[in-house]
Amino acid sequence: MRDDRKLLVFCIWSVLGFLGMGFILEGLSRDSYLVGLLGVCTIVAAFIGHIIVNYLNKQGFEPGETALGLGLFGLICLLFVVGWIVSETSQTDYYIAITLFAVLSIGMIAYLSSRYGMRQAFSRFHIKPTSDEGNEK
Amino acid sequence: MSISEPFLWVSVCAIFYAAAVMFWSRVAALRNSNGTTWFSAGHELPSWVGALLMAGAGVSGWFILGGTQEITKHGFSLPGILQAGVMLCLPGVLFFKRLWYVGQRLRVSSQAELFRVYYRSEFLVFATTFVALMFAVGFSGLQLRFVSEMLATLGGDIVSSQIIGFLIVLLLFGYVVIGGMRAIGFVGAVQAVLLLAAIVFIAGYALYVSGGIEALVKGLQAKAGDPASAVLFEVSGVLQFSAGLGRDNFYGHGGTAVMSLGLALAFMGFQTSPLAAKIVLSMKSADGIAASQTWLQAAFIGGLIVAGIVLIGAAGFVNSEWAITGLLSMMQLQSAWFAAWALIAVVAGIQLLAGLGLLVASENLVRVIYKPYFQGTLDRKATVLLTRICVGLLALIALLMQSLAPVTLSAFAGLALPLSIQLFTPLLGITWFRWITRPAAICGVGFGMAAVMLTEPFGYQVLSYVGLELPWGRWPWTVHSAAWGAFFNILSVLVISAITNRTAHREEAIDIQNFLVANFGLQTNSRVLKPIAWSAALAWLFFAIGPGLVFGNFAFGSNSETEAEGGIWVFGIPSMWAWSILFWMLGVVLVWLLAYRMEMANMTLIDVSAYEPKPRLRKNQSDKERERIRFSLGFVASVGSIIVLLAWSFG
Repeated sequence: MRDDRKLLVFCIWSVLGFLGMGFILEGLSRDSYLVGLLGVCTIVAAFIGHIIVNYLNKQGFEPGETALGLGLFGLICLLFVVGWIVSETSQTDYYIAITLFAVLSIGMIAYLSSRYGMRQAFSRFHIKPTSDEGNEK
Repeated sequence: MSISEPFLWVSVCAIFYAAAVMFWSRVAALRNSNGTTWFSAGHELPSWVGALLMAGAGVSGWFILGGTQEITKHGFSLPGILQAGVMLCLPGVLFFKRLWYVGQRLRVSSQAELFRVYYRSEFLVFATTFVALMFAVGFSGLQLRFVSEMLATLGGDIVSSQIIGFLIVLLLFGYVVIGGMRAIGFVGAVQAVLLLAAIVFIAGYALYVSGGIEALVKGLQAKAGDPASAVLFEVSGVLQFSAGLGRDNFYGHGGTAVMSLGLALAFMGFQTSPLAAKIVLSMKSADGIAASQTWLQAAFIGGLIVAGIVLIGAAGFVNSEWAITGLLSMMQLQSAWFAAWALIAVVAGIQLLAGLGLLVASENLVRVIYKPYFQGTLDRKATVLLTRICVGLLALIALLMQSLAPVTLSAFAGLALPLSIQLFTPLLGITWFRWITRPAAICGVGFGMAAVMLTEPFGYQVLSYVGLELPWGRWPWTVHSAAWGAFFNILSVLVISAITNRTAHREEAIDIQNFLVANFGLQTNSRVLKPIAWSAALAWLFFAIGPGLVFGNFAFGSNSETEAEGGIWVFGIPSMWAWSILFWMLGVVLVWLLAYRMEMANMTLIDVSAYEPKPRLRKNQSDKERERIRFSLGFVASVGSIIVLLAWSFG
């Protein structure tokens, strides 16, 4: 069952993830916001597909998936900042990147708050050491 | 854009793809834990994985590479290709459910074993193995060759096609050997999704390049107005009594209605092949068969072919620079990342079929033939090891043939599907018609295969080599080799079943017949629908792929009068295309009727207990095995000598 879920997630991202990335690159190279937006929408569709698979399997994102997602998000941010500094970035490129970051950030907050509630969503990041761990120290 | 950019993107995508393949083969190997589940994934492949595997392997790289080229060259004169989605799933609807239950009952995991247990026929075992070999080496090998050359050309010949071919085969060998059937299932699901998505994407790109559907239709109208290409918008009658390709000329062209029927029969060959049986017998349950055949195969794949593949082919038909290779070259210049992804997806589709073919052919050679004949004491671990070696050898042969013997490879490739469809009569005997006797099934397959061989280049080239010139060429009377084979096959089965004892079945066969009768009798409402279903199926076959195709020439407009602006195509597309779309939709309804309402493929909740054969004493076979080895070596040496002698005599 666990392999089933992983395989489904893999199938979704191998198609929609790559297509989304491709459209974003296409938008950046053609300086077309609409094409870039199509890429962002495809990435969102991949996330929705992933969440549906999670729902069907009655589980959330796995720690590895979260780490990979956040890592990629950080890497894309870094690439964008470096690209901005090193080369000329057009207004459209800027809008595409901002749209992607905004949609991903808002989407993450929306997902966490709808799944865990606002208070518990914050606790997902702010993990206090348990009393036992404190005593051991 | 520098030449290295497309190459770089292809390399990046290839590395990601190879990493994904190896990851899933590792997961599969861990789940296998030991050799016991290597051959059939422990019969626990999920239904959706089986469905994707079947869809991906059925489509493979043929439709995107070969199917589009056929339409580019021959226009709409072979509408059998357009109905491939429905044709691909008909044997599935007919056989898969019962095949799965029979497999569970007899505890077998391959088609060859099933034939051995049910018919006690070694001929059928060898025939099945030969078909699997044709798929593994010929059909997949030719596609691999095509895609290797395409990758080399599109990569600016930085890496030669031989090296690309080697890398593709190496990856293929790696994941099949590591994870066996489970890896083929896991990797195959990803490969199938990639392939299907790539077809959708390339079709969209073809539409974009040709300037949208209106521009494409205008291009088609211009073609229809040109007398030289106008004939390619219709089938050239029902049948032409020509001596065949390479021997005789055709009136107009060779794409008759009966040729389309034969081609469609050949497409059905995948689902009667040992490869499809392997997928079915490795599945955990039969509950997804109806859905996969109806909605995935007939509806989605059928729609993809009748719309997507036709769009790609039609773009090339209108402008030869937009044929599939040209399209990918253009895509590469415009966006190297998409072109790289699409190419790797096509490679994935080909690897899916090739991997499955290699496993099934190797399993048949080692586990079904070598072990019982030559080394009965071989344990499970050694059997798996030998099979892995065999996978490697077959992969190597396929690779070498790509460079050293492309003509033979092409001849083998042409045999795979028409030979495979000949296995439908023994399958019918097991699952539906108990009156098909053992001699009838054997003779049917034998005569069917002989007819296929004699109407394909392989057969008449072999005969020509020894000085026997056949008076016909390829596909005489514009009848495809699959149809010639099916005709002689059915004729033999009917005649021989009528003159042999129809009650003389073996114990296992009788048990299966009783099991099927007891558990799969029709419900009352399905019995009422029976005549309607039969009538609908025959009518659909007649109009969609049979002689009725001639009505498609003019049913939705005339092709000869389209030179005038606007033309008279009723739906704005060629009449034969509209006809095919209509019959694809009706085909989906037909498949749904058969699969669900006639209960041919939907789930039946029964408890399947294993068949218990009567205990028999096993004799010591070691002397016989040694004798067989001696005989085989002598046989191989004799055949080799004869070939050398013939080559020396006839040149």
